[in-house]
Amino acid sequence: MSEITLRINGKQHREDVASNRMLVDFLRYDLGLTGTKESCSVGVCGACTVLVDGRMVSSCLTLAISLDGAEVTTVEGLASETGLSKVQESFVKYGGYQCGICTPGQVVSAYALLQENPHPSEDEVKDWMMGNLCRCTGYYKIIESVMKAGGAE
Amino acid sequence: MPGSSTVIGAPIPRLEGADKVSGRALYTADVSPPGTLAAKILRSPYAHARIVSIDASAAWQVPGVKAVLTGKDIVGHRWGRFLRDMPVLCWDVVRFVGDRVAAVAAETADAAEQALQLIEVEYEELPAVFDPLEAMQPDAPLLHPDFSEYQDISPEVLIPDTRNGLSRLTWQKGDVDAGFAEADLVLEHTFYIPSRHQGYLEPHAGIVAIDEAGRIQVWTASKSPFGSRNQLAKSLGIQPEQILVHPIYVGGDFGGKGDALDLPIAYFLAKQAGRPVRIIMSYLEELLASNPSHESIITIRTGIKRDGRMVARYLRAIHNTGAYGCMKPLPNVAIGGAVHAGGPYRIDNTFFEAIQVYTNTVPAGFFRAPGGPQVNFAAESHTDLIAQALGMDVAEFRLRNLVEEGDENAVGEKLNGVHARETLEAALQAAHWRDPKPGVNYGRGIAMYERHVGAGPSSAELTVEDDGSVTIISPTIDQGGGIHTVLQQIVSEEMQIPLDQVRVVVGDTDSMPPDQGVGGMRITNANGHAALQAIEELQGKLRERAGEILGAEPEQLSYDEGVFYRSNDGGRTDDGNRALSLAELAAQTADAELRTGRAKVEMPMQRDIACFAAQIAEVEVDPETGHIRVHRFVSAHDVSTVINPIAHQGQIDGGVIQGLGMALTEDLAVEEGRVTSLHLGDYKLPSAADIPELETVLVHSEGGPGPYEAKAIAEMTNCAPPAAVANAIADAVGVRLMELPMTAERVYRALQDK
Repeated sequence: MSEITLRINGKQHREDVASNRMLVDFLRYDLGLTGTKESCSVGVCGACTVLVDGRMVSSCLTLAISLDGAEVTTVEGLASETGLSKVQESFVKYGGYQCGICTPGQVVSAYALLQENPHPSEDEVKDWMMGNLCRCTGYYKIIESVMKAGGAE
Repeated sequence: MPGSSTVIGAPIPRLEGADKVSGRALYTADVSPPGTLAAKILRSPYAHARIVSIDASAAWQVPGVKAVLTGKDIVGHRWGRFLRDMPVLCWDVVRFVGDRVAAVAAETADAAEQALQLIEVEYEELPAVFDPLEAMQPDAPLLHPDFSEYQDISPEVLIPDTRNGLSRLTWQKGDVDAGFAEADLVLEHTFYIPSRHQGYLEPHAGIVAIDEAGRIQVWTASKSPFGSRNQLAKSLGIQPEQILVHPIYVGGDFGGKGDALDLPIAYFLAKQAGRPVRIIMSYLEELLASNPSHESIITIRTGIKRDGRMVARYLRAIHNTGAYGCMKPLPNVAIGGAVHAGGPYRIDNTFFEAIQVYTNTVPAGFFRAPGGPQVNFAAESHTDLIAQALGMDVAEFRLRNLVEEGDENAVGEKLNGVHARETLEAALQAAHWRDPKPGVNYGRGIAMYERHVGAGPSSAELTVEDDGSVTIISPTIDQGGGIHTVLQQIVSEEMQIPLDQVRVVVGDTDSMPPDQGVGGMRITNANGHAALQAIEELQGKLRERAGEILGAEPEQLSYDEGVFYRSNDGGRTDDGNRALSLAELAAQTADAELRTGRAKVEMPMQRDIACFAAQIAEVEVDPETGHIRVHRFVSAHDVSTVINPIAHQGQIDGGVIQGLGMALTEDLAVEEGRVTSLHLGDYKLPSAADIPELETVLVHSEGGPGPYEAKAIAEMTNCAPPAAVANAIADAVGVRLMELPMTAERVYRALQDK
């Protein structure tokens, strides 16, 4: 076991973790942050996407001990006390989800895109989001939700 | 019909949106009753073998292990969605790579995995068969010699004099031999479709907790809690009422998650350990040992007259059911897609048969219009080949042969409200069918599909709450299709109250009459009508109560936007007793029964109503590499009332992309019976980078069986894309692919062979 100190969604944490504990399990089971989902377990589908120091990572392939000193944002950290973030509201309004299991990963990735590129083109959205698989929506309304959050007509 | 309606047909955002985008929505793997143990399953590495011995004693050496189970402990317990032919844990024979042999529950998943490694199993390999055509040969290994001992076999399941034959469905019309005799030309083709995984991103998961009273509490990733409950009960040999299934969000289904799958294992482990047990399938296990679609070999033969009329059609679909038939939910233990072998066309004489064959491969299950995508790939590719043989334009040939109002379809059902022609013409127009192609090596291809609207049982219960809002309890899990928002809209519309005054709650298996869950394009029809009837009962009761409170006969009251009014009784006196809102009524009605309406329905299948889809793919093929790019895709549908356009379009979007995945990349590769595409890097689902420009055309129709005459959409969208793409590739570069997926390698090889 090793002790790590990190900030998750703005809150300081000091926790003991086993050296082989995956970040996705640490978040979901050790900290009860079940918003992040696990699906493919091989870093392909994006359902487990979280932000580490602002960058998207697959938490199913990331060891928790590698995050000592890091700033982690999960889907739970996107909303504030006053409500959902702009990108989350856009997903709700434009129906960028159906079953919802990929949705936390989708909104985290979309949030990261809009932080870096506030007004992306459709091709830029597709390129950025191609690591977030979805089986229900066919992606059209996901892309629309992100475009609209980026101010598209 | 909603003429002046405000919410029916409006793009209402789905009511669970905030929960889903925030991560608050709970799925089975997110739930953790106190003390829950993690369970793992030991699986057979052989496709067919006898279990000589199994010694699990060493598993107990791993710290944290609380329960160990082998087939020897539970001999005779089998599970199935209908046919119980799969052992909960195998005790004598394993029948596919991945078959369940032993299980361990421990404090951590790691400990459970370690414990599995210490279980010693000695196998004696048996001859195995993987190809369904080989399995039908007289000398093939027999997978289920004791079939007659399985319980509750429906008399509909024929065990034909076909080696390893599980079931056979047939449909016919007229005299197909006579039809072929009068044909001027007979064409026959055989197509091959591999197995595909439904690709839901939430793997199977289940939690079983036995409480102090002995009640079995279950959370499961299943769109059919009643189905899962009843299946679990039968596999354990107990009454279903001993089990309570809690509603929970389900992360995608597409036909693959209406089961109890590993719940019986979790139960036995929970019983042994005295603690709740959770089993979550890894995605590897999903691809290895869940319930993918049926690999199919389809032969189709059509007799045609020179004038382009089709006078006879024979189709035989061999569906590989894998090692067990347990994954199929219907008494006939079959998939019914071959009923669509005639497509939307007039064909006078037909004979269609679908044969489900056992092989030593992963058990097959339902996947969005089961059998439909496979049969449509064959039938609509075949349609183009017929047109070409006759020297007729592929669109003209279809237009010439489409069913019209009052015609019989290919299985002898007379159809009303037929809009097949308009749907195809709308698709042709939207696809700019007659325009020159944008460039060299571009092609366009058409495929059509038809299907009835699903029906069956459902229920609903509505109560006016103290504050005048209305709660509707539905037994239906919304697996992503949006039924809860549809219910909210129906209640809002009929009760004339704002949407935010309508709450939708899912009932557990104690509180609601059974519902088989979403599937077969049934739920708007079934659950929607249940809601309408429950509303009617509620309104009757409310009117009675309002009459009592207002001192008037119920018939004298009028109702508008959530308020009852005493009608003119000869000059209104301003006695403050003229109007009664729902909130005021509820406040004066302590007995909730007086403000609750219920309904239980069994919606009949209306076989004279069909939905039609016409889809057109525009592709570009690179002749140097064989790479196919789908640039544009048109999806045209005849629809009546669309209750929620966002959810409706979502079914089109998602279905089209699933169809394109089937067409181009999805192949659950199996070698020597072993699935070899074992993660989502190998089993390639479409991504956001793969989607074409999609144009949807909705053709006006009426008279659907659903609420507000709605038809259905969910399974209309995913069946025809593969044939549309195959026909487009043929149009582009002149090669005809007869098997899926249509990869660059296959196109390239076909171009070389030309």
